[in-house]
Amino acid sequence: MHKHSPINCILPPHMLEDIANNGTAAQRVLAISNLKSSAQMVGKRRALSDFTGAAFRVAAVGGKERIVYDARNGSNLPGTIARKEGEAPVTDIAVNEAYDGSGATYDLFKNIYERNSIDGNGMRLDSTVHYQKGYDNAFWDGEQMVYGDGDENLPVNERLFNRFTIAIDVIGHELTHGVTQFEAKLTYSQQPGALNESMSDVFGSLVKQYTLNQTAAEADWIIGAGLLTENVNGVGIRSMKAPGTAYNDPVLGKDPQPAHMKDYVNTVSDNGGVHINSGIPNRAFYITALEIGGNAWQKAGQIWYVTLRDKLTSTSKFQDCANLTYKAAEELFGAGSLEHQAVKKGWADVGLTVDGGGTTPPPSGDGCLSSLLRLIGAAPAR
Amino acid sequence: MKVERVQFERTGGFAGIRFAADFKPDELPHDQSKELFDLLDDLDFDDLPEQMIEDGVADGFTYSITVKTNKKTHTVVTGDSSAPEKMQELLQLLNRIARNQMRKQ
Repeated sequence: MHKHSPINCILPPHMLEDIANNGTAAQRVLAISNLKSSAQMVGKRRALSDFTGAAFRVAAVGGKERIVYDARNGSNLPGTIARKEGEAPVTDIAVNEAYDGSGATYDLFKNIYERNSIDGNGMRLDSTVHYQKGYDNAFWDGEQMVYGDGDENLPVNERLFNRFTIAIDVIGHELTHGVTQFEAKLTYSQQPGALNESMSDVFGSLVKQYTLNQTAAEADWIIGAGLLTENVNGVGIRSMKAPGTAYNDPVLGKDPQPAHMKDYVNTVSDNGGVHINSGIPNRAFYITALEIGGNAWQKAGQIWYVTLRDKLTSTSKFQDCANLTYKAAEELFGAGSLEHQAVKKGWADVGLTVDGGGTTPPPSGDGCLSSLLRLIGAAPAR
Repeated sequence: MKVERVQFERTGGFAGIRFAADFKPDELPHDQSKELFDLLDDLDFDDLPEQMIEDGVADGFTYSITVKTNKKTHTVVTGDSSAPEKMQELLQLLNRIARNQMRKQ
């Protein structure tokens, strides 16, 4: 469920800026957070740097540009620079993993889908490692990727999570949240939120498969392999191939993901189950990729990428995604092609019948800012 | 003002795994209950807004903390980067308590 603080709903941006500059510590945190979240457009983000005093973390450059920061177990983002683009590996493995993983993600999007970074316009890839102490999570904060070290502050026999940079698909997952933010803008709640999560798992897994040069049949389709310690009975956080089977543990419980619409989980928790029901579209992608065969990033990935970029909107649901991937497959590979049929089977296996009749209104899949930028030549044409 | 009960829930995050604790502070080891009371005092917990969560974050945790005293019950919902430093210390303490409770179950 999308929550808004009262401060965000009532106060205009200029007043939030005043609070951000002059309020108490707690007020400043809230005001800056609200300003950040409401300023999703690049132009507004630049304006933000005027009062935060920090160099803004978006740079339109020619190609791949990464910076990895070290939060040194604190909460201030982005932290201290640990490695910049082109610099040699350092001794800190988490720094190198964040650097290499964001690079591999950039390469997949650039080499296969001809997308220049998160925004399609060379946005710098910023990552922060060593966030807080005992922080067993990774997230995308709207501007950058953030990684915790897991349970490094607990005795070895009590640890459940390793560092979150250990799995390259986690890095691809977080970076893809950025892509979604600039494209379909899927609302982070209920089915649109579960699609948002699924897109991140799809391209996260594809980054791993691309890096390992695996076919769809060879890949493990596990999200977060290596993330759980040996104290946990589990192979990872999610299974795209068999949702609901990634872990079953006395402390963590059982993987709650459904693999079929008949098992869809209605909950208010986790923004309406965005990390739970994503199992359904995840498996639809897996089936599609397996049906097509070969490397999943090539055809199945292309279909999903075009759907994310051009067809889905902020309110799209699973049925919309089924219809729109089917349509994308037809446009890319032809009606009745193997790929077209594979998409149909993928969704059928999770309980959704594709509707190719165009009942879904044709979405723009694109913000007006992007359109304007392309019109004036400031963004690449599609 | 006596704290009678604390309920804590962490949801969301990359893994989407729920952590929760429900306890009376008297049941905690003395050093933990003292740390808890000090943090609640430092934060003026009863005066915190009910919603302190940020928008625009994907895979962030959502924390819900309910503190019941002999005078009132107050719930605060917060995220990671929206929480002030003292709140983050409180969240880390509650996470540790939740982890212990889950292990004993």
